[in-house]
Amino acid sequence: MTPTVSASGLSLHFGRTRALDDVSLRLSPGVTGLLGPNGAGKTTLLRVLATAVPADRGAFTVLGHDPATSRGRQEARRRLGYLPQAPGFHPDFSAFEFVDYVAILKELTDRTARHREVRRVLDEVGLGDVRGKRLKKLSGGMRQRVALAAALVGDPEFVVLDEPTVGLDPEQRMRFRELIAHAGEGRTVLLSTHQTEDVAMLCHRVVVLADGTVRFDGTPAELTARAAGRVWSSTERETGAKAGWRTGTGSFRNVGDPPAGAELLAPTLEDGYLLTLDGAGAEVTA
Amino acid sequence: MTHATTGWHVPEDDLRAYARGELEPPALWSADTHLTACATCRTALAGALDPVVLDAGWERLDAELDAPRPGFLESLLVRLGVADHTARLLAATPALRRSWLGAVLAVLLLTVAVAADRGTAGPPTLFLALAPLLPLAGVALSYGPALDPTYEMAVVAPVHGFRLLMIRTVAVLAAGLGLNGLATLALPGYGLRALAWLLPALALTALALTLTARLGPVLAPSLVGGGWVALLLAADAARAEDTAVPLAPFTAAGQGASAAVAVLAAGLLALFRDRFDVDRTRGV
Repeated sequence: MTPTVSASGLSLHFGRTRALDDVSLRLSPGVTGLLGPNGAGKTTLLRVLATAVPADRGAFTVLGHDPATSRGRQEARRRLGYLPQAPGFHPDFSAFEFVDYVAILKELTDRTARHREVRRVLDEVGLGDVRGKRLKKLSGGMRQRVALAAALVGDPEFVVLDEPTVGLDPEQRMRFRELIAHAGEGRTVLLSTHQTEDVAMLCHRVVVLADGTVRFDGTPAELTARAAGRVWSSTERETGAKAGWRTGTGSFRNVGDPPAGAELLAPTLEDGYLLTLDGAGAEVTA
Repeated sequence: MTHATTGWHVPEDDLRAYARGELEPPALWSADTHLTACATCRTALAGALDPVVLDAGWERLDAELDAPRPGFLESLLVRLGVADHTARLLAATPALRRSWLGAVLAVLLLTVAVAADRGTAGPPTLFLALAPLLPLAGVALSYGPALDPTYEMAVVAPVHGFRLLMIRTVAVLAAGLGLNGLATLALPGYGLRALAWLLPALALTALALTLTARLGPVLAPSLVGGGWVALLLAADAARAEDTAVPLAPFTAAGQGASAAVAVLAAGLLALFRDRFDVDRTRGV
């Protein structure tokens, strides 16, 4: 199958800071999670793939179009939806007006067809009943859903979501996960997140990024399997563990190389993620 | 037949155009609103059409009724003949909001009052110095990641960034120059001398936009605005003490230089237009 996105050797520096270093990946339909600590380069990679910023080196295609050229960039953008990390709003716009505004930016100029599409995506994210409300009167979770509707307007084939569940309460987060899962049906969705739960629940594939480089690219099950035999329980904090934290039962959960005779535990996706980072953001807590 | 409350009905020509999907705003909005409340016009609409066209009409009406009414600025722009989608793009422009335009108007009224108070013996220097900066500031406030909250979404949209910039620039310039023009009319004693702000305004705006492609949307207009003030201070120092003599930028030679800068900058802007298509202004 032809991948939706095919990237090879992407590098980008901001001054002396290396944001991306030789990143290569291929994305196909379904939800792919992009995990990484703060400063790993997740947002930069998403902005490059969303065609917002050009890479210094490397190349990529979106649905066969090369965003390095003006024509290819425009063709890619016609089939792209993007939810930035901190989506901005015109506060005086209603939900409908805002999504309508983005639809116009996506070249939907026929008024009737555009309004029908705006209504469709607002219904899809469950905001059909509040479409006439001013954005400043909506809750943070609702505004985030408006931004998702804006990303989905025009039925894009490639959707880039930058940490969409940050700042949402648990109920809103669950609701948002349902929406992302629905959005991923028949589309390619790249989801950046800090939360391994998002990946475990939504993604058929996960990419771990740290210090601008890809540390892992595979299925969530494969990432979890990396921690098999490397997670154990102890009553005291283990200084030799790569990461460890006190659990609700009072015992410590450790990941790393277990001592002989340690009580091994079933690994989780988070354990595999922490071991993959291996010092590039994993924190030992007690 | 008379409507129970307003006495108005959708004219037959409009009804036929409506059914064909050819009725344009604002007449379209009037028809939408009226048809929801008037059974007579709905019946007339149904009788005039074949069922397929009628179904399409009802579907359109359904979609239109879901759309909130546009705000004051959008409605005004559509009534002035601007396409509804362009009007919505412009409604998101900070420098076209009433608060900004009101502030510009207040500044202009103050400077006009100062100029009028000093009599017409010399040129209205304060007004001429300030008037070019207002359209420049308006254009600077209309585009860019620091000032447009939806910039991040706009920059990855298929609408070319340069086109969006130009749409907003033309609208903001029209509004800014229009207000300046009205202020100029309040200084009739100066004659054409009071219009000497126009070419510098165009030059500063074009130069700032051109430099924006290189320096970003905050630094470029700041530098150009600062340069204009520095130029005026230097010109003021050079003309000695005779305040009846206009500052160099407002002389014939100065106006010619402004025109040349405006043309040159516009040419370079067109050359650099692709630079507005991606965000080159910041790192993450």
